[in-house]
Order: sequence, then structure tokens, then C-alpha cells
Amino acid sequence: MSNNSMQTASCSRLLLWFSLFVALLFGSGGMNLVYAADTGVASSSLQERIAPVGRVQVDGQEPIPQAAVSKVRGEKPELIVAPRPSRGDYPDIGISSRAVVWVLAQMHLFFGALVLAVPLFVLVIEFMGFKTGDERYDVMAHEFMKISLTGFSITAIFGGSLALALFVLYPDFMGYMMHVFGAQWLVYAGLFFLESFFLYTYYYGWNAMRYGNLKWVHLTLGLLLNASGMTIMVLANSWATFMMAPSGVNEVGAVIGNIWEIMKGPLWNPINLHRFIANIAFGGAVVGAYAAFKFLSTRDPEKRAHYDWMGYTSNFIGILAFLPLPFAGYWLMAEVYAYSQQMGITAMGGILAWLFIVQAVLIGTILLAGNFYLWSGMSRTEGSVRYQPLIKYIAFVLVICFLTWVTPHTLILSASEIAELGGSHHHVLGPLGIMPAKNIAVNLMLIATFLSFQLYRRSDKVATVSWARAGNALLVAIYVVAMVNIIFLGVYYGYFTNTVYKVGSSVAQVGSTLVVIVAGIVIDSLMFKNAKTLPSHWGKIPDRSQYALFALPIAFTWLMGLMGYVRSSVKTHWHVYTVMKDNSPDNFIPTIGYAGNMITIVTVLFLLFVLFMFWIANLSATKQPKPVAISEGGVA
Amino acid sequence: MDNNNEMSTAATMLATVLAFVLALLAFYGLDHFFMSIQGLPLNLDLTPAG
Amino acid sequence: MSDVSTAGILAKTIGFSLLLTLVFTLTTLLLPQVEGEAPVEQEVDLSSMTMDDFVVLGEDLFNKKGTCILCHKPPPLGRAPDVQGMNMEAVTKERLADARYKGVAKDVESYLRESMVDPGKYVVAGWGKKGTNDTVSPMPAIDKAPIQLSTMEMDAIIAYLQAKDGIEVTVKLPTPEAAAEVTAAAPASAPAATASAATVDEALAKYACAACHSMTSKDVLVGPGLSDVGARLSMEEIRQSIIDPNAVIAEGFQPAMPADLAAKMTVKELEMVVKYLAEKKQ
Repeated sequence: MSNNSMQTASCSRLLLWFSLFVALLFGSGGMNLVYAADTGVASSSLQERIAPVGRVQVDGQEPIPQAAVSKVRGEKPELIVAPRPSRGDYPDIGISSRAVVWVLAQMHLFFGALVLAVPLFVLVIEFMGFKTGDERYDVMAHEFMKISLTGFSITAIFGGSLALALFVLYPDFMGYMMHVFGAQWLVYAGLFFLESFFLYTYYYGWNAMRYGNLKWVHLTLGLLLNASGMTIMVLANSWATFMMAPSGVNEVGAVIGNIWEIMKGPLWNPINLHRFIANIAFGGAVVGAYAAFKFLSTRDPEKRAHYDWMGYTSNFIGILAFLPLPFAGYWLMAEVYAYSQQMGITAMGGILAWLFIVQAVLIGTILLAGNFYLWSGMSRTEGSVRYQPLIKYIAFVLVICFLTWVTPHTLILSASEIAELGGSHHHVLGPLGIMPAKNIAVNLMLIATFLSFQLYRRSDKVATVSWARAGNALLVAIYVVAMVNIIFLGVYYGYFTNTVYKVGSSVAQVGSTLVVIVAGIVIDSLMFKNAKTLPSHWGKIPDRSQYALFALPIAFTWLMGLMGYVRSSVKTHWHVYTVMKDNSPDNFIPTIGYAGNMITIVTVLFLLFVLFMFWIANLSATKQPKPVAISEGGVA
Repeated sequence: MDNNNEMSTAATMLATVLAFVLALLAFYGLDHFFMSIQGLPLNLDLTPAG
Repeated sequence: MSDVSTAGILAKTIGFSLLLTLVFTLTTLLLPQVEGEAPVEQEVDLSSMTMDDFVVLGEDLFNKKGTCILCHKPPPLGRAPDVQGMNMEAVTKERLADARYKGVAKDVESYLRESMVDPGKYVVAGWGKKGTNDTVSPMPAIDKAPIQLSTMEMDAIIAYLQAKDGIEVTVKLPTPEAAAEVTAAAPASAPAATASAATVDEALAKYACAACHSMTSKDVLVGPGLSDVGARLSMEEIRQSIIDPNAVIAEGFQPAMPADLAAKMTVKELEMVVKYLAEKKQ
């Protein structure tokens, strides 16, 4: 029955059925085993004693009727509370267990994010190629797959190592997690087989199923690859979110709900969405670095054109997925606050608050690199001279906003922290540091980035519609008024009224930014409908622009590591928040500097493994020339 | 750049002014909308929130 | 083949990447380095504790384990009323008189305790959960996970909040027996030891009421039988006799009832017991 429903049911339905199926299989399987007790003493107490194990039959006696067994099955199982390990229950291996798990988990997540994201946009690009009939798309999609293929094995290796490390170093915690999630991990393991099957048929079948109806088969394989990958991700996410906001268990950790109630905690879907989007941004950035490297290492104009275009597409995917991330992040934080005000404040205030300055540096780097790449890309087209003079103003706005953003802001600190810092406000830059100034800065940065993007899109076109001037005037007016409005909202409500308005006006600020983006897209798409296209030349971009494509993945990788530190730290001294205490020697939140060192270690490690992955991808295309002299000489 | 297909300078000026007026009105309305969906008045006279 | 040195490009791009990583790392090292320590189970010698020690313990709990300071701090930083900056006596009077007050507290002490275990009983205007129009409090119950302060720890915080205003500290120091109990329960850290009793029977057992009072007859054990107490006393009077048992002593009895019940019982337990007794009318 499961095979037929698999094809049609949606992911979650499939999962539910599959887990039910597995549960039934194991549940009934365990019950139907017939044990023969080899003791000759047949007493009812013996039967009673072993009856709960399963259906029993004492040697030489009638089997216990089925009804009795089902009665045992129907009985409420005893609730098992979460373990309370003491410090001695944690193995001491001489180095920090947390550090070991940290590195392995982060590596697993990096590669997991990469191999989930790449097939996703590969599928989209392949479909575009199929629809437009442009072979270049198909070639590029195939190349994206090729370079990330080793990533699947690396993900699995780190996943296995992580599981091993967790079971060895945190036995009580893992025992509890296994108890809570039960047979779900079998579903998880089973999905790996499915994913591998689809991965290899999708990748190796690429050229075998290239045209016509077979292409549809191939696209379907890609879809199933993505479906199994996504299911794997949401299953793994449920463990993380269970640890942050447990559901389906009572206040001492005893399981009271079914597996669905356990999985569907308050933070599950926000994390699912957030990771889904972030993975795409991350994947785009990483393959962009590959294109940049290939671009730099060749002088062949044809190859340069190909890799320039590949780098541009990767960057486009990365930035496009990056822009909605703040909104997904906002939803996640809102749910965190709704679940536990205390957890929200731990994340946004208190010790971890400083980390948002680092986050500002990272996001600033990403935006600056993205803008710089767009400006450099204008050299591909002849029409871009019209917009070149604007770039310096955009750059100026970006830098000013960036500096305002990273200015330390008002933090929610404990008394001792305030004493340590000598006041909760920055001495000199105080007023610039509070939230309204940052809201202005962030929104203006987003608008500036969109302006760069819009100018880039316009640079190879000339509008031919009669209302072009009026349209431009309207667009300029929208940009100017929106920016003034954002500044006004921030200053007026932020500095002159109270908190309620401050929060309210930040919504209006984000609204203004969105209006600019939507208006820009709508006006331009109407205005350039039948526009005259100026010639553009792929590959005609300065070499230095490619460094932006390296800055992006490095910043993304680091940012992911940083956010992982926050996500894990908000649980404070709990393995499973409010349910299972962490009594290990590492149950404190490490300092931001320590976290920084750890994140750098994993980022560099990731860099090395990615290089290995790319190297392997190119190895397959390399062929050693036949050693002429020796073979002629006399190899038998 | 100007050719007879496009507008005169005066018309451009007018279009620009109109565009700004339009944008100002639109954003005034938007601010009003965004504040009111949160149950807040636009509060341009600095009344403290209730 | 290409005329570009791949090794050179590799060196340049890796160098660039490492440099950028270094910049991010340095940023974190420039920031204040604060470690978020897990609350340490403090060994407090309760038997030799003076009220001053108790107040200091309360302040410590307020700032650390209780995490009260995360929200209760002076404006504009606070996310909750600045309880350290206001006079709790004046504030309590005002709030208890407010029509929106839903609790049963009578004085500063009981009000503070009630606010900790059931913060929703009175939501200070302007501080309610967003969108609830000040009907729901965003504050977690302090006796529940994740904060999970014991009754004694909450007492210490009340003592601190009273002492800082110069009002009389009405909470009682933990008795040696209570101290022994806490110490015994601590290693097991069973939540049952600190959690509020769920039913009135549990509460009666927890405070060993039946050791001295018969619940089913008018027979006198150590204290008077309580089977008809609902007929003799109003709810107010019953509550009063539990909170302050020695104020009015039934004729012919010694002041033997423990005076620290109010300190030990949670508001919920107290209310359950009061209600239960008030219904006993035979």
C-alpha cells in the first residue's frame, strides 16, 4: 500500500503514512514474537511477569489468548521523564565535547544546506532551459550539479560523525531524544536511500534524458530529489526545534503526544522557512565562487563569457534569496517571543545582543559586495555610462548607513554587564546607536541595493515608450519620497514619541521599502517592454569584481555559523528547553570571541572541503595524455 | 537628446512636480495605513500614546 | 591551455577569503566578552541565615538565577515595570485597589508572591502582551521551568524587594526544618518538591494539615476539627487564620500552628485550601 500512495501523496502525507507504516511494522512485529520459556515451572505469576514483553507461551501450555495481549497493548505505557544526568554522567575526553559537536554539526549543516539548495535552483534553471529552448541553461544547470555532487557524500560523512559524537559524548541526551522521536529516525534513514537514488538517476541520467518526453521524466526525477531532500531537512529541523521549544511532552519531559505533535512545535515552521530560504542564498553564493575561480583562471574569451554568466546567475540567486531572509527571521523571532519572552530577550538582549553588531558587519559585507558586483557588471554593457555617475552617491549612502548600523546600540544588559561596559549607551555615538537610527540605515541600504540592481537591469536597454520621461520622474519621486519618509518615520517617531510608535513606525518603514521595490519592478517592466536593447558582452568585467563573489560565500558561511551560535545558545543551560537540563561542563553560553574563533575554524574547514569538492569535479574532466615513449618502449 | 517624440521642458517640469505630489500623497496614505493596521493614529501633533 | 597560473589565482583567492574571515573574527574579539553562565545551584547554609543574608540572597536571585533583571529595569531599557525603582508599598496599595485587579492578595508580601507565581492576576497598564490590550502578562510563572525558583527563593526576592524600600520585611526566614527539607530535595531536584500542589489533597498532605486538624469531624486533635469550619468562619477569616494563625486563636488552644505557612504555600495552594475549607459546613 505504501508504494502506491508514495507517488501521489504530498510530502507530509507521505511522511505520516510512512511513519505509521513503520510504527505498525515494528509495533506488531515485536508483539507477535513467540517466546518459549525453557523453565518447566508453569505458574501464572511467570506468565504475568513476562507477559508485558510480548505474546508469550510457556513450554507445554496453551498460548495466552490474543485478547490478553491486546489488553497489554491497550494499557497506558508508563510515562518516562527526561533523564537528569549529573556532571559525572558526561564522558570527559580531555577536550570540550561541545567544541567537537559544534564543528561536526556546523560542517554537516553547511554541506547539507549546499546540497539541498543546489538541486533546487538547478531544477529551476533546467526548467527555464527547457521552456526557452536555450541550451546554455541546461549546460549550466548540469555543471552546477557536477560541482556539488561530492557534497552529498561529504554531508553524509559529517552527519554520521556528528551522530557518533553525540551518542558518545551526550549519551543521556541522545537516549532521551531517541525515546522521544522513536522510529522517526528510521524514516529519516530511509529517505537517504530515496534521495541517493534520485540524485544518481538525476545526475547521471542528464544526457540520457535530455529532450522531449524523456526530459519530463528527468525533471520529475529532479522534483523527487528535491522532495526527498526537503523532507530530510524538515525532519532534522524538528529535532532542533524540539530542543528549543519542546512540544508533545509534559513539563518533566515524558512523552504525551504522538510523533506529529512532537514534531510540530511552535518554532518548526519558522525554522523550516528560514533555513529553506537561507540555503538557497548560501548555495547560490558557493557556486558563484566556483564560477569566479574558473573565470579568473582562464583567458579564453568564450570560457570567460560562460563563467561570467554563471557567476552572475549564482550571485543573482544568492542575493534574491537573501532579500526576504530578514522577514523570515522576523517571523522566527516573533514566534520565539510568543513561545517564551525570556528566550526572546536572551537572544535579542542580554549577552547575545552584541552579536548583532557582528551580524551587521556580515550583512553589510554581503550588501556591499553585492552592490560592488552589480556596478562592476555594468561594464558589460555600453549603455551603462548613463548611470555610472549615480554609483558614487549610492556607495556613499551605503557606507554611511553601514557605519550607523554597526554603531553599538542600546542593549538590554544585566547590572553587572552595565558596570563592565560603563553604561548601556555608547559614550560618543549614543543617539546614533539606538534602534530607530538602525532601522533607517537598514531600509536605506536595501533601497540603495535595489537601486543598483535596477540600474544594472536598465543598463543595456533604452526605453521607447512615449511616457518614458514621466515614468522616470515618477520613479525618482518615489525613491526620494520613500527615503525621506523612512528618515522622517525613524527620527520623528523614534526620538520624539514613545515605544509603541517606535515599533509601529518601523513597520511603515519596511512598507516604504517594499513599495519602492514593487513600484520599481512594475514601472520598469512596463517601460522596457519593447525597449531597444544595447549590445552587452559577457566576460567583459574587471577581474577585481570576482572577489565580490568570494566575499559573498565567506560572509554567508560565517553568518550561518554565527546564527547557529545564537540559535543554540538561547536554550541557555538546557539540552531541551524547560525539560532536560544540561549539566555538562559546557552548559554556559560561551563568549562572543570564543564563538568567533569557533566559527572561523569551521568556515576555514568548510573552505578546504569545498575546494576539495571543486577539485574532484574538475578531476573527472581531466584526462592524462597517453605516455607515448614508455608505451612504445615495451609495456607488455 | 530631446526629439519631438518626447516632452518639452515645461511639460517635464510639470510631470516632475506632479510625480512628487503624487508620491507624497501616496506615502502619506501608506503611513496612515501602516499605523492604523496596528491600531495607532498617525499622531503628527506628538500626543503621547495612550 | 590557459595562460593564467592556477596556483597564483588559488593563492590570491584563498588569501582574500582568509583575510575576510579574519576581519569577522576580529570584530567578535573587539566586543565585550561576556559569558552566560548557567545558574549554579548554590549551597546556602539556611540554618545560620540572618534576615540581612536573606535579603542579599534575594538581590542575587533577582539579578542572576531569577533573571528578573532581564526585563525589570529602569526606563528606557526595561520591558517590564522597574520594580527596583518604585516603592512597592505604595504601588501595591494602588494596584490592589484597581478594578482590574483579579487576585486575592492583601498586602505587599502576598501581592509580590502572587505576581511571581501567577503574573496574570494584575497586568500593569502598558506592559501587557502585545495585542492583548493589557489583559495577558508576558511574564513567565517564576516557579515553573525554565526559571523554576523554589518557594524559599521567591521569599528571598520578596524580602529583598521589601527591604530596599525600607518597609518592614514580612517574609519569614526559612526554618531549620524547611532548610533541611530543601537541602534534602535539592540533589534529586525533583520538580515535585517545589511545584505547586495540583489538588487540594496534595496541598493538605504537603503541609501536613491533618497532623493536627481533623478534616472529617469536629474532634480536636492538636488544633480544632475543621469539618464545620466553613460554617464558623468566612473565606476571609479562613485565609487569615492560615496566613497569620496566631492573630486569633480559637478558645482554649495554644498558638501551635506554624506561622510560616503563608511563606511556604503558593497562592494557588492557599486558595485551594481556603476554598476547600470554606465549603466544609457540617
